[in-house]
Amino acid sequence: MAVAVKQWDARYFQMAFQVIFLSYSILFLQWKAEWLQYSLYIGTALILQWLCDAILEKKMFSPFQWSSGGWKSALISSLSLCLLLKTNNWSICILASALSVFSKYIFRINGKHVFNPSAFGIVATVLFTGNAWLSPGQWGSSAVIFFAVCCLGFIVVTRVQKLDITLAFLLTFAGLLFIRQVIYLNWPIDFFLQSISTGSLLLFSFFMISDPRTAPNHAVARIIWAMLIAAVAFYFSAFKWMNSTPIFILVLMAPLVPLFDLLMKAKIFQWRAAVKESQQATINFIKSKRIYHG
Amino acid sequence: MKRKIISAALLLVFISSDVFAFCGFYVSKADGTLKNKTSQVILVRDGERTVITMSNDFKGDVKDFAMVVPVPTVLKKSDIKVVEADLFQRLNDYSKPRLVEYFDQNPCERRDYELAEIVTQKMSAPSTANAKEKSEDSRYKVKVEAEYTVGEYDIVILSAEESTGLYKWLTANKYKIPKGAEEVLEPYIKSNMKFFVVKVNIEEQEELGFEQLRPLQIKFNSPKFMLPIRLGMANADGDQDMIVYAFTKNGRIESTNYRSVLMPTGKNIPLFVQKNFGSFYANLFQHQWEKENQSVSFVEYAWDVSPSNFMKCDPCVSEPPNFNDLKEAGVWWLGKDVYEEYVNEYNTNKTKNVFFTRLHVRYNRKAFAQDLVFQETPNKENFQARYIITHPATGNLTCSEGQNYLKELKERRKKEMSMLSQLTGKGYDDWDLVMDPELNRTTVDTSYQSIAVTESTPMKKTGTGKTVFLASMALLSVLTMVSIGRRGKNKE
Repeated sequence: MAVAVKQWDARYFQMAFQVIFLSYSILFLQWKAEWLQYSLYIGTALILQWLCDAILEKKMFSPFQWSSGGWKSALISSLSLCLLLKTNNWSICILASALSVFSKYIFRINGKHVFNPSAFGIVATVLFTGNAWLSPGQWGSSAVIFFAVCCLGFIVVTRVQKLDITLAFLLTFAGLLFIRQVIYLNWPIDFFLQSISTGSLLLFSFFMISDPRTAPNHAVARIIWAMLIAAVAFYFSAFKWMNSTPIFILVLMAPLVPLFDLLMKAKIFQWRAAVKESQQATINFIKSKRIYHG
Repeated sequence: MKRKIISAALLLVFISSDVFAFCGFYVSKADGTLKNKTSQVILVRDGERTVITMSNDFKGDVKDFAMVVPVPTVLKKSDIKVVEADLFQRLNDYSKPRLVEYFDQNPCERRDYELAEIVTQKMSAPSTANAKEKSEDSRYKVKVEAEYTVGEYDIVILSAEESTGLYKWLTANKYKIPKGAEEVLEPYIKSNMKFFVVKVNIEEQEELGFEQLRPLQIKFNSPKFMLPIRLGMANADGDQDMIVYAFTKNGRIESTNYRSVLMPTGKNIPLFVQKNFGSFYANLFQHQWEKENQSVSFVEYAWDVSPSNFMKCDPCVSEPPNFNDLKEAGVWWLGKDVYEEYVNEYNTNKTKNVFFTRLHVRYNRKAFAQDLVFQETPNKENFQARYIITHPATGNLTCSEGQNYLKELKERRKKEMSMLSQLTGKGYDDWDLVMDPELNRTTVDTSYQSIAVTESTPMKKTGTGKTVFLASMALLSVLTMVSIGRRGKNKE
């Protein structure tokens, strides 16, 4: 039967997990709940996304008839900002959100945006305002089991959607850390376990680098790219003593993606909902023809 | 029995400060095993430059002891200096958790509202130690990079190729290496760390006439912004406390590999804590530390102490650190030793900003697998661990407002009691109280004792919320998976 199968968009799960992470952190990890900041992040992102979509479609539409998946992307980016970016200044929240959304429209090559929106927003805000920061230790390492379970849950429900990037990154990064810390420096194993059991690392690998829209299209290219990010991030954290290197390196390496796409051709990734929409459009088109002919 | 709990916890914080420790380890030539328990460290950091001052309250025969601290570079003589011990006392007094008192007005006597803020204090502080020996041997693959005498200390800076060599060198020089130290030496050697080995130069010490050993201050340039606590765990059993006083230009420091937790603050607690504040805070710290799963660093104080900021504390427990204290602590960016210049640059010169952070870490081998690594953040939000007690109104309370007041007082005191057990995990009966005659000043049924009897004794609140949360999340994910599975089947 040619009934369109209702497959949930993976982005719904992503949102759900981000909300769970945030509430867990506030409820049990003594995070100070910055409600004003959260609403500014989310509000700014949604409003700007809506405006951008309206301008591109050259018509004002009510937010309830928002057909494109733009709001999902904006919501996910702003939830990432809520989870990762710290500041004491409300205007920074607006700036970070705006940078995230605009980066999708300003930096585009071949119909793909170059930077992961939230990573770009975070890195640009931290580097250029000097008034925002990341707290890599904010989850500690005792919450890691909770995070791991959620991430595994995410894999299950999304049916391994582009998990290759996550695994390539995580295995390379952890592998290099293991070689350096345990084999070379001879630290006990719990030293290494603490390095990899931070919520920030899991969040990055499952919810940021894994974004299929900003990764190379070709499967092999994706894996090389993820491993490259892991290796460079490892270098700067182990030898240059920098913090939160994966996010910075992700942004730094983003311009390589169009290069990979040029060298290794493959289809551009589309979220399931978007695929469905285009299929539906085709079906409608055919139907209308039929009616016309009939 | 219950009294014992309190006194035991007290021991942890107070007795512990008798025995000094730093993140390095003490090596002893004598047989008596030394324990590191509490240490105080001043960290000054900007860019890649770090100044570390290690307090030294070592008690014992100075000629028998030495301290080993891993450092990232070979220090020059000008990078090492001895500072006055009371600096630590001043910083501690300024930043320690504080108790604020308020006074209720008697509603039956219309007087102007009287408010008084008296600040009580807590916790003692700092002071040092070591011996002298000299030997080098290439057989041990240990290189003596430099040797200096600074103040009462003889200092040797070593680099080593292998931990067994360093171990043997120290042994050959008649140091007794604590058990467990050898395994952590290797990672430091391979990370290209040098070893700063300190002993006391007895002649110098006698000549200088200082009874107590003074804190040592070192400075170096390195991207590494950390404190090597792992080495310090070598000769300490159980938990050790460390208080870090940090001075930075832009804002708070925080640990990048351990979670930072703000101490509960601004809580109303029972009046009887006034005379027991030390033990109250010791219990509070222990309870919060266990509640947070140990692997955390607590923020006890954070304040902008820049010359341009007039309000350097609120309320002030003691004098805020002045120009000389900051200079002594190693804050180099304040400029020349000209106090006028410092004062005249009020409001304008951002390069003279100084932000102060006090962190309190209680660590042990199990919960702390890694050294403490820090980062400076632009977070300038002030913070203090501050607790509030309120004195009841006195005098005749027979008027109707007075009666209402007593009812409210009783309710308030119930809340204070439950706050007390929430903060410290202890109930009224657990307190070995230094009784204040306050109980006689209020009517019997508003006394804490009577409230404690009516209220049930301490509630055990341990992570039930967390379990419920986790369980509901698990349920949610199972449901999601089931629904996904069904959809999959429908598809077929």
